[in-house]
Amino acid sequence: MTTDEATSLVNVGARQAARRRKAVPYLLLLPGGLWLAIFYIAPMIQLVGISLQEGTYQTGYSMTWRWENYADAFALAGSHFLRSFLYAGAATLLALFIAYPLAYGIAFRGGKYKNLLLVLVLMPFLTPFLLRTLAWKVILADSGFVVETLKTLHIISPSGRILATGWAVVAGITYNFLAFMTLPIYVSLEKIHPSLIEAANDLYAKPVTAFRKVTLPLSMPGIVAGTLLTLIPAAGDFVNASLLGNPQRLMVGNIIDNRFLRIVDYPTAAALSFSLMLVILAIIIPYVRASGTEDLVA
Amino acid sequence: MTDTTITTQGGFGSSEPAAVELFNITKRFGDVLAVDDLTLAIGENKFFALLGPSGCGKTTTLRMIGGFEDPTEGTINLHGEDVTGLKAYRRPVNTVFQSYALFPHLSVFENVAFGLRRTNVDKGELEQRVAEMLDLVQLSGLDNRHPAKLSGGQQQRVALARALINHPRVLLLDEPLGALDLKLRKEMQIELKRIQQEVGITFIHVTHDQEEAMTMADTIAVMNKGKIERMGDPAEIYEDPRTAFVANFLGGSNLMPVTVIDRTAGSVATADGTTLFVPPKALSPDTHGFRVGVRPEKLNVYRPGSGDIPPNVLTGRVMDASFIGVSTHYVVRTSTAGDLSAVVQNLTGDRFSQGEEVSLGWHPERSFVIHDD
Repeated sequence: MTTDEATSLVNVGARQAARRRKAVPYLLLLPGGLWLAIFYIAPMIQLVGISLQEGTYQTGYSMTWRWENYADAFALAGSHFLRSFLYAGAATLLALFIAYPLAYGIAFRGGKYKNLLLVLVLMPFLTPFLLRTLAWKVILADSGFVVETLKTLHIISPSGRILATGWAVVAGITYNFLAFMTLPIYVSLEKIHPSLIEAANDLYAKPVTAFRKVTLPLSMPGIVAGTLLTLIPAAGDFVNASLLGNPQRLMVGNIIDNRFLRIVDYPTAAALSFSLMLVILAIIIPYVRASGTEDLVA
Repeated sequence: MTDTTITTQGGFGSSEPAAVELFNITKRFGDVLAVDDLTLAIGENKFFALLGPSGCGKTTTLRMIGGFEDPTEGTINLHGEDVTGLKAYRRPVNTVFQSYALFPHLSVFENVAFGLRRTNVDKGELEQRVAEMLDLVQLSGLDNRHPAKLSGGQQQRVALARALINHPRVLLLDEPLGALDLKLRKEMQIELKRIQQEVGITFIHVTHDQEEAMTMADTIAVMNKGKIERMGDPAEIYEDPRTAFVANFLGGSNLMPVTVIDRTAGSVATADGTTLFVPPKALSPDTHGFRVGVRPEKLNVYRPGSGDIPPNVLTGRVMDASFIGVSTHYVVRTSTAGDLSAVVQNLTGDRFSQGEEVSLGWHPERSFVIHDD
């Protein structure tokens, strides 16, 4: 074998190795990709399909490309849509204002108790979701401690109540999703090196300015992640509204639940589900862009 | 050194107040004594280095001057004004942090402008000053880059520009070159010195690298266990380190325990009775047990019986000879003082090999004296 041949053999080997290395990321993506294709994309296509069908449970459904299903769905649940985003938005804001100081305290003042405090944040998750929500029914009950105290303080009228109002639903959602807000914010705050804050102080920034100019912008990825993790499931939630809310003022999730499982009107339920998804996307895409977190992750 | 009152240029009674004065500063973290009753004055426009091993209290001292730690006891003056209780953001002092601490979400321009934005400088002046500063640190044109897209050396320059742009009265540098590779570090040492001379600001530089301190600083304070062991200009403390710690931390040293024979002649005896000479003035009247030290590069290696050996001679056998280009490093085992190291410049091709019997010689005035505590 001449040296040229040897070199070309080596080159072929190297090229094969390079090709294999290139294939590795795709192979790693394969299981997740398959999972998504089978259990997410395929059902999604099916869902859109159903949303354009016509018929009843008894007679069966047939595809008629009936786009009016969407108009019907909005006529039926337009106000529920609005209410869903109102409740979910209020709960997300409330959760943000509770979670941020909490995460800040754990990240910067937690010291050796950091991990313990994080476990405490997650502790409610050891109780089932349903049970936690039912517990709020007791907490906010008409003759309960919270309502009585608020009455004594004249914050609500003597005949007022909290249970079966929007307040109760917002309180329930806020509580149930608080950890989803706290953890991403904690992670982004925890990553901020204390010397960055010292550097801001060194450059004449008072604590408030240092927070505004350094800590807050650097924790934006956590805020964005936390608000998305809260807003998205909260907008589609139906448990809080059905257990804590007023049956006359439900959320879109309740209507979907009803249409699918009780009235068995699959096309309308599917149209509502798909619309909900589109509305959520329409909200979060500009939100993620506007918050400019691409710079931070880059 | 047991006396803690150490004065350099300015301060303590001179008419011009020193840039920085520390009076009896003590800092404790719980049970740990980080800085122990430190008193120090640093003159205007000096390049001052705080040198010591990790945990000696040098960074804590710097952080107290910057306002990031409060001293447990004592007061800190900046240009004659007591700033002890003042927060960092109220002190006319800026810092170059060890890991640079550049704001990752801001561009180079905004990083450098950060301090000016807090002080109501108008837009035109701000832009002009940032441009000038980026020019000074040779970063012009990188205004819009983010720190993550810069090399280590460039990040270091941004950190420097960000601090200097505010015209601080004192600039604090906390191991600023620690993260750079050797070649870049050497370049930045010269660069920092140039910039310090150009801007005429007092630099206080914390480092554990003795060569870095000697390259840049006018005055070096060697710290050990929360105290300053020795302070002076680099050559002075290198030639006469006075304590064993300084002798070993600042370069290498050969130390030999001796007893006095004749104080006026400066003659002393080693453990096995060999007579050595030291400068008589180095022997204070109360000196009895102490050590004679000599730097490895001041020892020369001779063939036994060679004619021109200086007065201080010890004989031994070469245990190790390492050729490193400009010089050869020998370890010579002597019966008198154990293993001594000698660094001999490769002026000629004549070298000694392992196992050879040699004489080590040095001039009395090249030795220093260490008083054991």
